[in-house]
Amino acid sequence: MAEKTGRVSGRRELEELIQTCVSIENRQFNPFLLDISEALRIIRRHAGNWKTLGDNLLDMRAITSLARVVGLQSANLRFQSSSLFVDPGMVKQKVESMSREQLAGFLLLSWHPIVELEQLTEASTKEALDYWQKMLSFFERRKRLQPGPFDSPGAMDTPELARLKVLEEKAFGRRLEELRREMKEKVGEEGRIDYWTFVRASNFAATVLRAQMVSFLVSYGMAMLERKKEKMWLIPRDPPFSTGQGSPLSLPIPIPMEAVVPRAK
Amino acid sequence: MTKEQSYYPERVKRAAHMLFFKRGRVPGARSWELKTGLGKEYPKVLAQLDEALKDLDLEVKKVESQTLSDFKPGPDGEEEMRYFVRLKGTLTPKEARMTGWRIDNLAALAACMSLIVSKQGKSERKELEQIIGEKVGRWRALTLTDAFLRSGYLEEDEEGLMKIGWRTRAELDLESLMMLIAESKPKGAIVEEEPGEVSDSAETLEVEGPAETVEAELEDQASTEG
Repeated sequence: MAEKTGRVSGRRELEELIQTCVSIENRQFNPFLLDISEALRIIRRHAGNWKTLGDNLLDMRAITSLARVVGLQSANLRFQSSSLFVDPGMVKQKVESMSREQLAGFLLLSWHPIVELEQLTEASTKEALDYWQKMLSFFERRKRLQPGPFDSPGAMDTPELARLKVLEEKAFGRRLEELRREMKEKVGEEGRIDYWTFVRASNFAATVLRAQMVSFLVSYGMAMLERKKEKMWLIPRDPPFSTGQGSPLSLPIPIPMEAVVPRAK
Repeated sequence: MTKEQSYYPERVKRAAHMLFFKRGRVPGARSWELKTGLGKEYPKVLAQLDEALKDLDLEVKKVESQTLSDFKPGPDGEEEMRYFVRLKGTLTPKEARMTGWRIDNLAALAACMSLIVSKQGKSERKELEQIIGEKVGRWRALTLTDAFLRSGYLEEDEEGLMKIGWRTRAELDLESLMMLIAESKPKGAIVEEEPGEVSDSAETLEVEGPAETVEAELEDQASTEG
C-alpha cells in the first residue's frame, strides 16, 4: 500500500518538475530558479519505484526536460557574459518610458536595410500559374451562386438604357431649360410660385430630383429664390443668364416626407 | 594584367546581379549558388564587389547558417551562408520615410527586438504584442507583429515562441541597438544636481549626439504627419 502511495506521489512530483521545465523553456521563468541538484535528488529518489513502461517514460521525460534547462542555464551564462546582455525587466522599463520618436531614432541608428530589387520570380510565377489553373471557370463559379439560366447577349436601345439609369435620357442643360419654362408657365400673372408647390412631385424620389434641379436653376441665375418668413417663392428669369446673377448664398432646404404626402394622397 | 584578374570585372558584375535581384522569397544569394555562378574563388569576387560598392554606401553582408533557420543546407552539405547587399551607413528619418516606414513601425520594431534580445532571442507573442501595444495601440500591435513575421524580422518556432528572424540578423546591428536603449534616458528626465552646486547648463552649449539629432528630425516628422 505504502509502495503504491509512494509511486503516486512520485508521479505527481515528476509531472510538476516537467511542467516547471516546460515553463522555463517557454521563457516564463528564469532557468536559474530551478535547483538542478534538488530536481536530480527527486528523480533519483523515485527511480527504484518505477515498474511500468509509462512510469519509466515519465522518468525519462523528467531527465530530458532537466537536461534542456541545464542547456538554457549554460546559454544564459554565455549570453550574460556577452555584450548583448541587458536585463529584460530593465529593457521593458526603458521601452515604456521612451517616446516613439526616441525608439524609432535608435532603430534608425542600428538599421542597415538590405538592397533588393523586386521582380517577377520563378516561385511567384509558379504560384500565380497554379492559382490560375486551380481557379474554376466563370460558369462553374456562377453555378454556386444559383442565379438561374444564363441570358444570351442581346442589343439594348437608348430608352431602355435610360430606363435602367445607365444613360441620361436628356442632356442636363436641356432638362434645366425645360424646368425653367415649366416654372415660367406656372407662375402666371403674379410672376412667382410657391417653392413647395413647384417642387412637390408624385413621390419622394421625384421631389428630391426636382429640388436638386431647382437648386441648379437658382445657382446658374435661371431663377431666383425669395424667402419671406416661412414662405419660399421661385421667380423664373429670362435669358441671357449669367452665373453672376446666381444666388451667392447657400440655403439648405430639408425635404420632409410630409411635403410629398398631400399630392400622393 | 594576368588572365585571372581580367576575369574579375565580369564576375563582379555577375555577383552584383545575383545579390541585387531577388530570385526567391528571400533576397541575396546562398554560398553554393555563388560558388556555382562565380566559381570557387567567389569570396574574392565578393570582396571586390564590396570594395566597388563602398562609394555607394553599400556593403556585402555575410550571414551565417546557424542564424538563418529557414535556409536549407547546400547540395554538397557544406556550411551554408547567405550573402546580401545592404546599406553600409544608416538612413536619416527623411530617407526612412521614403521607404514607406512610419515612426510607429520603426518604434515597434525597436521595442520588439530589444525585448527578444534581452530574453536571449525568444519571447512569447503575447508579451511582444503587449510591449508594442503600449506604443502604438492594441490593433496596430497585432498587424505589426504579423507584418514583422511576414517580412522576416521575426520568426515563430514550433512552440509558438517568437524569435529573431533572418532579416533582423542581416539588417540590424543588435549590439548597437541594445547599447542605445540601455544608455537612453526617458524623455523629460530631470537631472538631479548636487545641492549647493551651481548649474552652468544655461551657459554651456549642449553637444548633440547622433541619437539626439535623429530624434529631433523624427519629432518634426511626427508633427507633420499629424
